[in-house]
Amino acid sequence: MLAYVIRRIAYLVPVLFVLTVVVFTFVEMLPGNIIDTLVGTEGNNDPEVRKILEKEYGLDQPVYVRYVKWLGRALQGDFGNSLVTRRPVTVELMSGIPATVYLALVGISLSMLIAVPLGTIAAVRRNTAIDYTAQVTSLIGISIPEFWFAILCVLFFSLYLGWLPSSGFANPFEDPWASLKFLILPAAAVGFRQAAYTTRLTRSSMLDEMNKEYVDTARSLGLSERKVIFKYTLRNAMIPTITISGLQLINLLGGTVVLESIFAWPGVGRAIFEAIQQRDYPLVQAGVLVLGVIVVVMNLLVDLTYRLLNPRVKLG
Amino acid sequence: MTQIEARRLAELDEVRQPSLAERGSRLMAWMGNAWHELRKSRTASIGAVMLVLLFGACIATPWLATQSPIKQNYRERLQPPSEKHLLGTDRMGRDIYSRLLWGGRRLVTIALLAVTFGLCLGIPYGVLSGYFGGKVDTVAMRFIDGLLAMPGLLFYLLIVTLAREWKLEGIANDLVLVFALGFAFMPEVARLSRASVLAEKQKEYVEASRAIGDGSLAIALRQILPNIVSPLIVNATVRLGYVILIVAALSFLGLGTPPPTPDWGSDLAAARDYMETAPLIAAFPGLAICYTVLAFNLFGDGLRDILDPRLAER
Repeated sequence: MLAYVIRRIAYLVPVLFVLTVVVFTFVEMLPGNIIDTLVGTEGNNDPEVRKILEKEYGLDQPVYVRYVKWLGRALQGDFGNSLVTRRPVTVELMSGIPATVYLALVGISLSMLIAVPLGTIAAVRRNTAIDYTAQVTSLIGISIPEFWFAILCVLFFSLYLGWLPSSGFANPFEDPWASLKFLILPAAAVGFRQAAYTTRLTRSSMLDEMNKEYVDTARSLGLSERKVIFKYTLRNAMIPTITISGLQLINLLGGTVVLESIFAWPGVGRAIFEAIQQRDYPLVQAGVLVLGVIVVVMNLLVDLTYRLLNPRVKLG
Repeated sequence: MTQIEARRLAELDEVRQPSLAERGSRLMAWMGNAWHELRKSRTASIGAVMLVLLFGACIATPWLATQSPIKQNYRERLQPPSEKHLLGTDRMGRDIYSRLLWGGRRLVTIALLAVTFGLCLGIPYGVLSGYFGGKVDTVAMRFIDGLLAMPGLLFYLLIVTLAREWKLEGIANDLVLVFALGFAFMPEVARLSRASVLAEKQKEYVEASRAIGDGSLAIALRQILPNIVSPLIVNATVRLGYVILIVAALSFLGLGTPPPTPDWGSDLAAARDYMETAPLIAAFPGLAICYTVLAFNLFGDGLRDILDPRLAER
């Protein structure tokens, strides 16, 4: 096991290398450079000044030296200052993380609450009206653009019925009731889409389990159908469902950009999106890198825990 | 096996050159066959019909569209559906029906090109990596892991932002999108082809080919490749739907093609401001995206059932 863990951690190195190179290259590929921006705003294009500034920002050095230096600073959590707010980029990003995690967690919980019962019923009552409804709904769920679904929800629940605010955020610790009202629509938009995937997965893994021999054995021993399903098949079928939901949760951290901007949700995704609009590239660069690293590391942790808890998985 | 047997095995699919008429009737037979196979799965046949309609509309757009998609007419703003404007007009008095058609044609073209590009990059990569194995394979696959770890939407955001900063417009802008989407599809294709190659590599026909002295590359491309096509087709079909969702999401965020180019995502975003007074404007592009993605998903799902008989029994 230890050797396996070490090998998996070693695999992180190339992954993180690709990630950092992509993110670093992004800023390198922007037309013009920071000197243009600085000189431009001062209205003074003196070559002498440019030289001094280039030296100050290290632009006179070759690309790979700059990459290593940038990486060194990034490792210490120093991504420079936001061009818009002048505050450290790290601070800007960190303030968005709780809201994003909050939305992702609630969304995934909602998704599992819908998907697990629905997928199970669909599998048990296979080829019935319930099954077809579940299948069609989940197909529509994975085909509908999430931003359109979100807009339709706003149109119906906020504008037409007036039950919920159309966008915004309140701190759940200060004002739980208001916070809940703000949360419902975005969480439903996240949850519906994820639930569509999870329902399909739960259904197919339930069907897989129900075809296995131990089910026949259990039935031939005279166990009730209810017991066979809830005590045996469902438990086994939940393994892939839980794994995938964990991965969905991780991916949502970098995947709620669109919903966060529709619902004015103060998360990392919206911070990155606004930074793109305001051309605040240090923030964009750091945001993508931080989210990428979080996703990679969390994926590894999930994988390791999964293998630790489930001895049937071969350590490949 | 003896050398003669091996040669026979390897030559089995080398057919004599057919005449044009023969080819025609073979094509008809193949299509009849394909439709017969498709009928086995209801999802696949519904998806196929939806796709035929979609592609038909995309090809016939210049004849189907009744008005210019970009001509503004302020006297006819925000009109409900009528004989002149089949689906009404948007906030600038442009014909929504024509905009939908032209936007769809562009969107579907981008998706098809992107997925094809991803296949062209990923298949050789995966096939060669799996075929050679050993150190080459390890290094090649670590690189793929690195690409797969990149959160998709964020990667596209970076690329689209670059395109904006370089002030790319029209075709150039679309091409950048095509390359980015295709490149992001590449790791998945490479992994899938590699896995299939590893499975196929052990089989007799490959051994036979090697016995008669075919080179590695010839075996990889001529013998193995045709046998790994079916999982790739399913994957590519589902990917087309995903690509369309991503492109629409990017242009919804205002990072797609600049106006006035008809575009489902940005048309939907623009319609948000008129949601209360003219909700239909937002409904049409949304429905169009939904229809397209659903068509690809249905077809892909059904195809998977047909090509994998183990699943079809369900």
